[in-house]
Amino acid sequence: MNSSFRPLIAVAALALLAGCATTEQATTEEQQTTQDAAAQPGITAQPGQEAYSYGYGQAPGGVDAYDANGSAAGGRPGQAVAGGGSMVPADRIVYFSFDSAEVLPESRTIIEANARKLTGNQRTITQLEGHTDERGSREYNIALGERRANAVRQAMIAMGVAPQQIRIVSYGEERPAATGPDEQSYALNRRVEILY
Amino acid sequence: MNPITRLLALLVLLLGSSLTHAQLTIDITKGIEGSGIPIAIAPFSGGAPEDITGIIAADLQRTGKFAPQPAGSRADYSVAGQASSGGSRGYVVQFQLSGAQGGQLLNLSFDAPANQLRAVAHRISDLIYEKLTGDKGLAGTRIAYVAGGGGTWYLVIADADGQNPQTILRSGQPIMSPAWAPDGSKLAYVSFEGRRPQIVVQDVVNGSRRTVSAAPGINGAPSWSPDGQRLAFTLSKDGNPEIYALNLGSQSPVRLTNGGAIDTEPVWLPDGSIVFTSDRGGSPQLYRIGPGGGAAQRLTFDGDYNARPAVSPDGRTIAMVHRRGGRFHIAVLDLQTRRFRVLTAGGLDESPSFAPNGKMIIYSNGQRLMAVSLDGSVKQEFALRGNGRDPVWAPFAR
Repeated sequence: MNSSFRPLIAVAALALLAGCATTEQATTEEQQTTQDAAAQPGITAQPGQEAYSYGYGQAPGGVDAYDANGSAAGGRPGQAVAGGGSMVPADRIVYFSFDSAEVLPESRTIIEANARKLTGNQRTITQLEGHTDERGSREYNIALGERRANAVRQAMIAMGVAPQQIRIVSYGEERPAATGPDEQSYALNRRVEILY
Repeated sequence: MNPITRLLALLVLLLGSSLTHAQLTIDITKGIEGSGIPIAIAPFSGGAPEDITGIIAADLQRTGKFAPQPAGSRADYSVAGQASSGGSRGYVVQFQLSGAQGGQLLNLSFDAPANQLRAVAHRISDLIYEKLTGDKGLAGTRIAYVAGGGGTWYLVIADADGQNPQTILRSGQPIMSPAWAPDGSKLAYVSFEGRRPQIVVQDVVNGSRRTVSAAPGINGAPSWSPDGQRLAFTLSKDGNPEIYALNLGSQSPVRLTNGGAIDTEPVWLPDGSIVFTSDRGGSPQLYRIGPGGGAAQRLTFDGDYNARPAVSPDGRTIAMVHRRGGRFHIAVLDLQTRRFRVLTAGGLDESPSFAPNGKMIIYSNGQRLMAVSLDGSVKQEFALRGNGRDPVWAPFAR
């Protein structure tokens, strides 16, 4: 693991990273950092400050505390927003390289394990959610996220999963797993989540 | 009632409550870089419950064309006026614009209720701006943008100075890509309610909503035709993202592109042709097709990433997201001269949108709203209490 990587990860992200070989490879083969924090007036990260990772419905506070009622984690009644820190387990996340929708050889173990679950119970439906990092155009990132989800779908189908067991949605950069203008966060965000 | 309709009904119910306590505020914290025509503004007398003098000064300052001065300063122009109780609606606001030699250029009076004094001040700013520059002013216009994230998303409409923000939609799922109808009465946008994307058209006055596309796969990047009769957007229901156009009076969108590449982010030119992003050449670039599709003409050749086009009101200039040296900038292409210019210092700049007078471009740096003039000389930063992205400048009110 890149030595500068470990201290930057917040406590919240450790659970995600524990035993996750996929994250290591996704991080070490990064292209060079292109960000200049000083030129980003809107970004609050400081040198040494930790990156946050949080589940859907959990805002880190401050930036998202918009509501007049003071509740940042809103959502609508009865809505299927996972709250309370429901992190997607590491064995259901496939990471990607920058600007790429290619399934890396290291990801095959995770995809195969999930494909076995699906072939073992053909009534199980999975939703593959494609994500990108925050750089570039938002709608173009929706298309890139879908391309990543499709790549995992194709791999699963090649492993014997029936196409009708797989649904796809792309969130592009709209639902980052980690917020932070740095390569570590970007690497955590370029992913497909395998949801059941 | 199908599930989508039910969701929409629920959402509309919730809308009412969020509107009543919308408290988003954005302030302009940074002034303008550059200089302008000195214009002296005397304090408005009469004790109106709104800082009319300050609003006019800030409006004119923000244009980058003027440098407001205290009363009595040496200036090319001067503004004086008063706002006092009276008239048929509560307040009478009167003002005069004069040249350096004392010649009177404008002398007007408005009747307004107290809650419209701010709008009157913007109107005065726009009258001064138009009189002295020949262009329509932006002080009375509005913007829409998306805020929140990480659990709650907001679609917000605010005045062009960032004041008066109103949440018109609050959702527990992402909201993206708002687009104003040409008459300013509606916004089309992407909503992920129900954990799948759909394109919704919402009336900004009465809040009514209609889902116009909820196909399998991507439903993205809506854009209104110049006549407001059609929407172009992206669907991936046939396997990969393609451009479609939907006549709003009909049910079935017509596909305009064909191929294995990503085609997305369509915007209309005044002549009905469509500019969009495609990676058919190996990297995202802008292309143009006719109103009915057909062969695409490539428009951008600078660098390996040009996406998210926006068209100027006169159809002559395309603004876009341009990557250079790993940083994302707002750039513009003049369709007549083919001149390509990078306007912003760059970082995570995205989502450009032209002001209705074509003089300014609003965009997001990923966290906050910014604006830059088409010639690059004027820069504004909107300081939001939270974040803001996907800004779109509304058309002039009709």
